[in-house]
Amino acid sequence: MTDSGFTVDVDQNQYLPEGGRDVSAVVTVTSGSDVAVAASSGAAGSAEIIIIDCSGSMDYPAAKMTQARAATAAAIDVVRDGVGFAVVAGTSTAWPVFPADGSMAVASAASRAAAKQAVAGLRANGGTAIGQWLRMARQIFAGYPAQLRHAILLTDGKNQHETPAQLAAELSQCEGTFSCDCRGVGTDWEVSELRTVSTTLLGTVDIVPDPAGLAADFAAMMENAMGKQVADVSLRVWTPQHATVKFVKQVAPAVEDLTDRRTQSGPQAGDYPTGAWGPGESRDYHVGVEVNPAGVGQEMLAARISLVTDAPSGAQVLGQGLVRAIWTDDEALSTKINPRVAHYTGQAELAVAIQEGLEARKQGDEETATAKLGRAVALAHQSGNEDTAKLLAKVVDVVDVESGTVRLKKKVEDADEMALDTRSTKTVRVKK
Amino acid sequence: MTCNTGVTCPACGGSAGPADSFCESCGTELAPPVSSTGPAGYTAQCPVCSLDESAPPSAISAEGYCESCGRKVPSGRDHVELNLELLAGVTDRGLRHPRNEDAMALATTETPAGPVAIAVVCDGVSSSPRPDEASLTGAQAAVRVLLTSIRRGDDPDKASLAAVRQAHEAMAILGSPSQAPSATYISAVIGPDGVTVCWLGDSRAYWLATDSEAKRLTRDDSLAEEMVAQGELTEAEAMASPQAHVITRWLGADVGTAQPHVTRFEPPGRGVVLVCSDGLWNYRPEAAGLAELALPAAFHDPASAADALLKFALDAGGMDNITIVLVPFPLVPPAPLPRRIP
Repeated sequence: MTDSGFTVDVDQNQYLPEGGRDVSAVVTVTSGSDVAVAASSGAAGSAEIIIIDCSGSMDYPAAKMTQARAATAAAIDVVRDGVGFAVVAGTSTAWPVFPADGSMAVASAASRAAAKQAVAGLRANGGTAIGQWLRMARQIFAGYPAQLRHAILLTDGKNQHETPAQLAAELSQCEGTFSCDCRGVGTDWEVSELRTVSTTLLGTVDIVPDPAGLAADFAAMMENAMGKQVADVSLRVWTPQHATVKFVKQVAPAVEDLTDRRTQSGPQAGDYPTGAWGPGESRDYHVGVEVNPAGVGQEMLAARISLVTDAPSGAQVLGQGLVRAIWTDDEALSTKINPRVAHYTGQAELAVAIQEGLEARKQGDEETATAKLGRAVALAHQSGNEDTAKLLAKVVDVVDVESGTVRLKKKVEDADEMALDTRSTKTVRVKK
Repeated sequence: MTCNTGVTCPACGGSAGPADSFCESCGTELAPPVSSTGPAGYTAQCPVCSLDESAPPSAISAEGYCESCGRKVPSGRDHVELNLELLAGVTDRGLRHPRNEDAMALATTETPAGPVAIAVVCDGVSSSPRPDEASLTGAQAAVRVLLTSIRRGDDPDKASLAAVRQAHEAMAILGSPSQAPSATYISAVIGPDGVTVCWLGDSRAYWLATDSEAKRLTRDDSLAEEMVAQGELTEAEAMASPQAHVITRWLGADVGTAQPHVTRFEPPGRGVVLVCSDGLWNYRPEAAGLAELALPAAFHDPASAADALLKFALDAGGMDNITIVLVPFPLVPPAPLPRRIP
């Protein structure tokens, strides 16, 4: 454990055969119980925005709007004194519900009560343009200096009242300015659409099939957000000259491909965003680097992984780990497969197999769907990913779990299919 | 003090007696301690990037890698041989570790009772940060205290405890309790009438002799040794267990009060003191077996014998860093002692 409270551990087989180029490692980042980074003056603390879908469909059934109001109130109750917060309502446009002037309120007993009163007056009426909602949130965040900026977004429908290009354009504006956890209530929303939002904004996505579950989920998300201490943490990956970073993926607690999120931070280094961190968190990253081979017996630093955060005085290094490459003619060494690298390779394949299998099923390509989902069943079983195995069993009948022989169920609940899709990226760690 | 034969001061060219610690004329230390820092004036450079003479020299990272091409840059510490005639040592990276985290420091001095040889070996704890710094810092700090104390006429036990305390302090300021560069520690003071050993961790001292008197002088602070002591496992079983190398005592900022062991050994006859890190004894833990490898060569040529032991450990796999110090007993000075004229 470093003084910053973070540790960076590297797990890999560092031995390569003669001429070998591919170096692969699992990097585990853990935060201690007392992580905190001194805030610069004027940008201290955190800010929260709750974005509530008020489209007309939220009234069908009426429980959705009722529960959305209750859930927003539950989340407001969790906002700590002194934290900036606001509530935004969204339809085909967006408007500030509280504070009504589009600013950010500072949480106190009085402001929380006022906010809940404003939320109680929300009514469902209108369309859905998620890009507009995000734009409003971005503007409110921009007027309030806080290091930790987080939003919760609730929707029940597809993004019908703007083009995908409009949403994508707004998302790229929001990227890096705040993080956003997304929830879909009911089964009329699009998993891939909301996943794009949550992935870009370094948040989670999940389905809440029954509106009655919203309040507990909102409170839990807000609790989690209140626990964050260190904002804008990145993995800085240094590589030697003539080396290429093949991929950088978060692989636990869920798969998030960060490869394309690289920002060049030096002639031989790039930063990959990991978002905000609270105490006692642990996340795994799978890093793949291709290097120029050196001779047998030679050693090379294939990558230096630094955990960095933006401090007023420049980037602050919170921890560091080394990925090595040593060329050997000892096959027993070079052919050894690192169990954690193998495990996460399987977990990433599992997520892809589920998403592709469900997509094929939607397209009516039963052959591909059966093959992909069967492969997913076998992978979930081999890796001990029981939660995913249970979700799969609601979509397919398992004939033989070892070989992944399955039959597609004739009748599948929409909620079950969407739950499998949204949670396909959830991984488990290697069994000890 | 004047003398008829002696040494020449390397600084001023003045002559000094062989028993002198410092030059009478200019105060230069005549027989300073030596340690495994590598060749004097050694500057690490990348073996690949330095071939391009038109390019500016590339930076070398703290971990010893070229900041341009990533290549491991040979450290001055990868292989160091030290020979003070009375004793000799070698330390080596081995075949599997990226750097040599072992360190050794040697010294000799003359006392009224006769010559004294001093050896300190530290083995950096690989799971701690910058273990190579910890081991060298500790060994250098300790040898300095031992040499000064013994020259002053201190009892070797007392000198040994003062030295280990100083080593601990020097290592502690390298880090903090949560970020503590750490190392094992062993010192041996070999004088005319015996051997004093002080240690924490699993670096060892042995008495090597051709007869059945060969024996280990230390008891490891390791889980394996504890299991053997409690009769839970045989030595062979303990060595094969995954916890064999988990040490229970060491030096570093995460240790509040160091609890070293001190033991005194009076050699029954002619023999050789071996001080070594686990990189050697892993492959031959028994004293008799080590004596077989080192003797008789170590009696008269400790440097060559240390090399032979190193080769043995490398041939056996070289899984860890290897450090070997050999001290023939009784101490045989390189040349007959000249008569001192008061």
